[in-house]
Amino acid sequence: MKQYILRRLGYSLLSLVLLSLTIFLFIRLTGDPTTLLTEPGASAADIEAVRHRLGLDLPLWKQYAVFVFSLLRGDLGDSFYYQTPVFELYFSRLPNSLTLAIAAMGFSLVLGIPSGILASVRVGRFWDNAGKIFALLGLSVPSFLVGLLMILFFSVYLQWLPSSGTGGISHLLMPAFALGWYFAAAHMRMTRSSMLEVLGSEYVKLARLKGLPESMVIAKHAFKNALIPVLTLAGINLIQMINVAVVVETVFAWPGIGRLLYEGVSFRDFPVVQGIVIMGGAMIVATNLLVDIVYATIDPRIRMEK
Amino acid sequence: MTTISGDFGMPGREAIGRRTSLALLASGILAGGAGSAKAAASGTMTVAVHVSLPPAWLDPSEMPALITTYMLVYALHDALVKPMREGNPAPSLAESYTMSPDGLSYEFVLRKGLTFHNGDPVTSDDVKFTFERYRGVSQKLLRDAVASVETPDERRTVFRLKEPWPDFMTFYALSTGANWIVPRKYIEKVGDAGYKKAPIGAGPYKFVSFDPGVELVLEAHETYWRRPPTVKRMVMKVIPDEATRLVALKRGEVDYAYSIRGELAEEAKKTAGLKLEVAPDGATYWMYFPEQWDPASPWSKLKVRQAASMALDYVSINNALNMGASRITSNFIPKHLKYHLPTPPPVFDPAGAARLLAEAGHPGGFDAGVYWCDSSYANLAEAAVNNLAAVGIKAQLRPFERAAFDKGFLDKRYKKGIIQGSSAAFGNASTRLAVWAIKDGAYAYGSYPEIDALYPRQLHEIDDGKRMAILHEMQQIIHDRKMFVPLWQLGFLSVAGPRVKESTFGSIEGFVYLGPYEDIRLAG
Repeated sequence: MKQYILRRLGYSLLSLVLLSLTIFLFIRLTGDPTTLLTEPGASAADIEAVRHRLGLDLPLWKQYAVFVFSLLRGDLGDSFYYQTPVFELYFSRLPNSLTLAIAAMGFSLVLGIPSGILASVRVGRFWDNAGKIFALLGLSVPSFLVGLLMILFFSVYLQWLPSSGTGGISHLLMPAFALGWYFAAAHMRMTRSSMLEVLGSEYVKLARLKGLPESMVIAKHAFKNALIPVLTLAGINLIQMINVAVVVETVFAWPGIGRLLYEGVSFRDFPVVQGIVIMGGAMIVATNLLVDIVYATIDPRIRMEK
Repeated sequence: MTTISGDFGMPGREAIGRRTSLALLASGILAGGAGSAKAAASGTMTVAVHVSLPPAWLDPSEMPALITTYMLVYALHDALVKPMREGNPAPSLAESYTMSPDGLSYEFVLRKGLTFHNGDPVTSDDVKFTFERYRGVSQKLLRDAVASVETPDERRTVFRLKEPWPDFMTFYALSTGANWIVPRKYIEKVGDAGYKKAPIGAGPYKFVSFDPGVELVLEAHETYWRRPPTVKRMVMKVIPDEATRLVALKRGEVDYAYSIRGELAEEAKKTAGLKLEVAPDGATYWMYFPEQWDPASPWSKLKVRQAASMALDYVSINNALNMGASRITSNFIPKHLKYHLPTPPPVFDPAGAARLLAEAGHPGGFDAGVYWCDSSYANLAEAAVNNLAAVGIKAQLRPFERAAFDKGFLDKRYKKGIIQGSSAAFGNASTRLAVWAIKDGAYAYGSYPEIDALYPRQLHEIDDGKRMAILHEMQQIIHDRKMFVPLWQLGFLSVAGPRVKESTFGSIEGFVYLGPYEDIRLAG
């Protein structure tokens, strides 16, 4: 088991190293940030001074070395735009992102799981088709459009909800819906397919043969087992909601990590983009590592695999 | 010593004489004065800001080459002299400033009784400290020019230059943060990082709280020397999406919204209670022909460049794209920069353009290649391309995201076709010419020997009249040769809500944000 954990840990570290290299190189492919940090027509000396201050005049390998060594010390670097530590920025936005992500996740699970169950037990009938339409819309209507339409309807016409920013629950409702709908659709689809798979299994057939009521078969035998992949997906989705709710946070001026990422990309703020991607990546890698360890603990065959 | 005021670095309000203006300002008559309008500040004004506000903007010593920074600096801090409604620049913390006849020293005298937000007096030692601590835009240029900073007494500061430099005030007072005074004692106590977290200045508003990129809360500095603000609390709330800003304004969640353009501006104009406002001194946009120095190119012919200028329907473009708020100009150097040469407005004459093309040997027009532009203003470029095509000059629009476009421009990659240039950089006509029109200028793809020969003659000319004459001559040559074909000087649009009686938006020449903050009034 120890060897298995060490091997998994090694893979996780390798993933993070590859991620750091990928994001470091890819963000630099987008171009030179100095022209965005000065007015068009700024003198060459001013542009050069900015480049020097940001360390962009160093060779690429040196910039990467600085990035990695800082990372090892727990330092994500200083934002080009904010000129403050990315770590500080990230954690100042994290509570807002967590609030939004938890609300959106709650909404997506409350809506996605029951509709997925309903669709799976009514295959090809009204609820299944309604669920498919719901999922299709959730996955295909862009969240900025959902957000703007909601602002137009609930803020402008009905005057019920504030249009933007943070505050009470009234501020949270629209962004949580706009963010959660997409994931509700994903959770609905996953619940449906997972339920269909479980409902066709031998032990469910046996439960039915034993004469258990259908509600008991679905709730106790099928749903419990079908829930595992849904929750695994929800865990990964929660990390995504926290780190990359870019559009929703921008439309609703929600001061979270997604908006920070949007600003980072807009200003070619390399340290901010690198920091957010690394933090998001680290969360996903840590989750996967944890899941691997839990699976291996439960099922010895996994840890015996070479 | 010669006392100079009002119009030192940029053109001032000409109706008031220099000495008279200075005397009036010093006595507080024009400016309102500390003794006037002592009513207690009340109410809160919330401003929806279109850009993210970083902590670095709270400290003028780190002033980047971005005009947006001044949005905060004007509220929290004060400068010895700065562009104001009364003049450009106008004495502010300094009641007077003088230049020695040899142009080698500049003396600033502080007003009596000035204090920072924490009650500490503003002294010449703070002026010196501010200059020495400054590390923002053009820092090296200033440091290299100044031999020493002396403080003969608590109110007087003398800058001694290594050699006469007529642009000293342009850089020191108008285009850097070196003249926005910060408190030495406080900064030495809290350190640079502490200062960014709780900045103290001498401006009309005091710092209350700041959530970087989200919200800045300020409170009136009741003893501000010029005039105590009437609005007690000023909240700057970042709302990046333009439509959301307008909705927040309509719902009364904010009182002012920056940068509302196009159809949203039309919508705001039609909405009862909202007032669309224009700051006319935004960036200038122009067409530039990098092939004009290549004898094989049609663009080398003056008549072709003149035809391009006459092909543009300036008024219709302005009306269609910016509600007529932009300024039509034929000089690529904007009106608010000192030494600007007023030139006659451009003429839209497509028939004349076609005739000139025929005379230049291109009767049916020609293929001009690519029209390079920043995608943020691709709509302006598209209109220009359509107008050019109407007279036979065919170009393919190629918009790039701003950073990529600027980089390509700087690296001189757009060697053929037409480039849509723009600039909102600080400075004066000389600094603008240095970057765009002179040999080896950062953005210059070529130059004319007559202009290159004139440029160094004005650089160290301390006689302002002579310097202006040289710079005007250079601009005249540029205008006559159609080296640039200006499209417009952008009018920056913003919207005031019903509670705002006087926003002050665009009231300071060359500045496109709210200010002076102490002059803002709410209704009731």
